[in-house]
Amino acid sequence: MLASEIYYPANVAELLDLMRRRPEAALYAGGTEILRTQSEPYARLPREVLCIAGLPELRQVLLTERFVEIGAAVTMAEMLELRESAVPELLALAIKGIGNPAVRSLATVGGNLASGGRFMDCWPALACLDAMAEIRDSQGMQWVNVNRFAAADGSPDFPKGKLLARVRVPLERWDFGALRKVGAKDYPSRQTAVFAVAARVEKGILTEFRMAFAGEVALRLREVENRLVGRRLPLDLRQRTAIAEEYRAAAEGLPSRLRIQFGTLVDGALEILAR
Amino acid sequence: MTISFILNGEDVSLNARSYERLADVLRQRFGLLGVKADCRRGVCGKCLVLLDGRLAPSCILPVFRVRGREVITIEGFAQTDEYQDIAGGFSDAHLETCGFCETGKILVTAALLERRARPAPAEILDAMASVPCRCTDPEAIIKAVQAAADRRARRLYHRAGQ
Repeated sequence: MLASEIYYPANVAELLDLMRRRPEAALYAGGTEILRTQSEPYARLPREVLCIAGLPELRQVLLTERFVEIGAAVTMAEMLELRESAVPELLALAIKGIGNPAVRSLATVGGNLASGGRFMDCWPALACLDAMAEIRDSQGMQWVNVNRFAAADGSPDFPKGKLLARVRVPLERWDFGALRKVGAKDYPSRQTAVFAVAARVEKGILTEFRMAFAGEVALRLREVENRLVGRRLPLDLRQRTAIAEEYRAAAEGLPSRLRIQFGTLVDGALEILAR
Repeated sequence: MTISFILNGEDVSLNARSYERLADVLRQRFGLLGVKADCRRGVCGKCLVLLDGRLAPSCILPVFRVRGREVITIEGFAQTDEYQDIAGGFSDAHLETCGFCETGKILVTAALLERRARPAPAEILDAMASVPCRCTDPEAIIKAVQAAADRRARRLYHRAGQ
């Protein structure tokens, strides 16, 4: 077993410098995604590791009336301990679906969004909430919508060699929100995915509708969502069936069991629009 | 690589490899056998420790992650008044555990009571999801944690009065 080289940057500037000089090094905060998939006595880690769990700049939470900003190294347990109005219900539901409370005290929001191999629990909720992520490298920083972490074909596409520093989640009123996790909970598999939906209604008209589903790949049909916005509720059966068919067609590439579960969840979400 | 941290109230340093898990280091280097590494995936709750006062599954924690931090195992926690509250509360409620999960349930209760003096039944069951051993009836564990909370409240009340 080859030992890894562990670096402990003291601040983000030092971290970005190390990332520039050691592009192959892996960022390590909670590390739950790496170690929960290994049951051998020794942990298999990348050759070079940048330990960022204790960086103060990545552990801050800023709460305003319009949004909450969460540092990438803030743990899931810490997020659930923020006061209720600071974390949108959809995101809280996603966090509660992660492992168990002890695992949540290690797992971080940054790791959940940027681990790269697959979409994890928080992405569908954050995508529905239109959360923004601050991405940094030694050249500078930019805010990007978390929806951009999904490539056109739905595969995870977190920018390589960049640091996810914090996530900004809008605190908006939603009239309806639901989140369901399907497949194995403790050991993510091909069949594990998370479904999230959020809707806003004003005077009987659907003013916002967002639906995201993600596991190994992400599914979000912005065109369909945009078409739904502005429609008067309730939607009749014919309209709902047509929309559900579009979602089912988009899910053709999913494993069969997941495709069936997705179809059922879409039907359930659209049922809300029939009331 | 030299890792220094606080273990059960004492400053310790050890030469460790990056791939060593904290659970193994605690058992093999420090002889703290109350920590058991079973699933090695953070699921079973037998390896729980308190890391800076928070629950952490030491089997999915590489030892380099605890540099400069405080780790408390059941052996260290057993020296505290809080342990006496919890052990007494479990005894008051006639809670019987299988032995494998007992340390985990005690540490879960410690972390929970640290945040909530009077946790609701749902909060207790949610916290106990970190130790999914089915040796104990959920009703019994709720009563036991509530009894521990009572003892803790009485002790803190008496201490405040002194």
